[in-house]
Amino acid sequence: MIFSLILNYRKTLCSGLFFVVLVSFLFSESITSSHLAVLPIFEWMETTWFGVAGKTWGALFAVVQAGHLIGLGVLGGSVIASDGRLLGLFKGLPMRLVVDRCHSIFTWSLGLLVATGIFMACGVAIKIYYMPVYWYKMLALTLGVLFVFFIRKPIVDRDLDQVSPWLLRLLALSSIMIWFTVAATGRWIGFS
Amino acid sequence: MNQLIYNAAVWLDNTEWSTRIHESYYLYNWIESTHVLTLMLSLGILFLIDMRMLGWAFADISANKLATRLNTPMLLGFVVMFVTGILLVYAVPVRSAQSVWFRIKIGLLIICAINALLFHRKMTASIGSWDFEPRAPKALRVGALISLITWSVIVICGRFIAYDWFDCNYPQSDLIRGIAGCIDGQTQF
Repeated sequence: MIFSLILNYRKTLCSGLFFVVLVSFLFSESITSSHLAVLPIFEWMETTWFGVAGKTWGALFAVVQAGHLIGLGVLGGSVIASDGRLLGLFKGLPMRLVVDRCHSIFTWSLGLLVATGIFMACGVAIKIYYMPVYWYKMLALTLGVLFVFFIRKPIVDRDLDQVSPWLLRLLALSSIMIWFTVAATGRWIGFS
Repeated sequence: MNQLIYNAAVWLDNTEWSTRIHESYYLYNWIESTHVLTLMLSLGILFLIDMRMLGWAFADISANKLATRLNTPMLLGFVVMFVTGILLVYAVPVRSAQSVWFRIKIGLLIICAINALLFHRKMTASIGSWDFEPRAPKALRVGALISLITWSVIVICGRFIAYDWFDCNYPQSDLIRGIAGCIDGQTQF
């Protein structure tokens, strides 16, 4: 029984294990040397075209930031629509179709967010390097991506009638909480 | 008109709670964060509905059902955006009232409200005939496109409000001073 559980949920278990290892590493003593090791990467980021452009033209940075906000809105909308349906809201909408279509929109908006995020990060690379909240956001984002693609998607890709409604609700609530955390830590960066 | 707006903004600025919100360590940040994060609820869902009308997404789902089911959380999001938006203006009324970007944003919000009203009327009148079509009729597609574009520009203007390029307390051209409603000799900014 344990073996079949491991076999059926191997992606979920691997993702969970990876995240536990990651968090353990972050709270270990080797984090300081690792943090120092990536400093040259952040210094390099500021010298790239993105970094120079972001620093030189404030208006360009602001437009890209607005694009980041629009991406946030669309990603949030797709998460609310999809997870809301899994929670039993928006009755009358076919669950399978809503979940599948929202996943496409989610993926595109995540791409927009990552692209605009990289541009903005290059513009303020050294500043965010020294911000703990930036690293919290990256941690939350890593968890979010792992969760969506290796835990949530494999489960919702199955016949939804065969999956326990409580598992679907747990997935939906977890997803909403994770992406809210990503958005909130992102907002927190603005205040730091 | 600009003098009237400036006087009203100064009056608001001198109220106790305006100062309290503006100078509070946490409250202004909480209000602004709520305003930004609620974008996910209001704008995110609106964009999903607009994309359905344009045939870019959810083409195999009933347009009417999608719009009516997602309408409630979307409107809830807009109510929260509206309330937090008012509080943000109330916290910094003079600068907000004289912000070029804020004035453009309000103008576009009015356009969006009119567009939404016309869209809703047209959709209600025509829904039976095209509900499962991948794309809405042309008039509704135009409305959805206007909605997508104007809301995107609203977000950009909202982001630009924080920048002081066209603030009245810096030297500006007559055009900018006119659009921003700068008052000669004003003492509050």
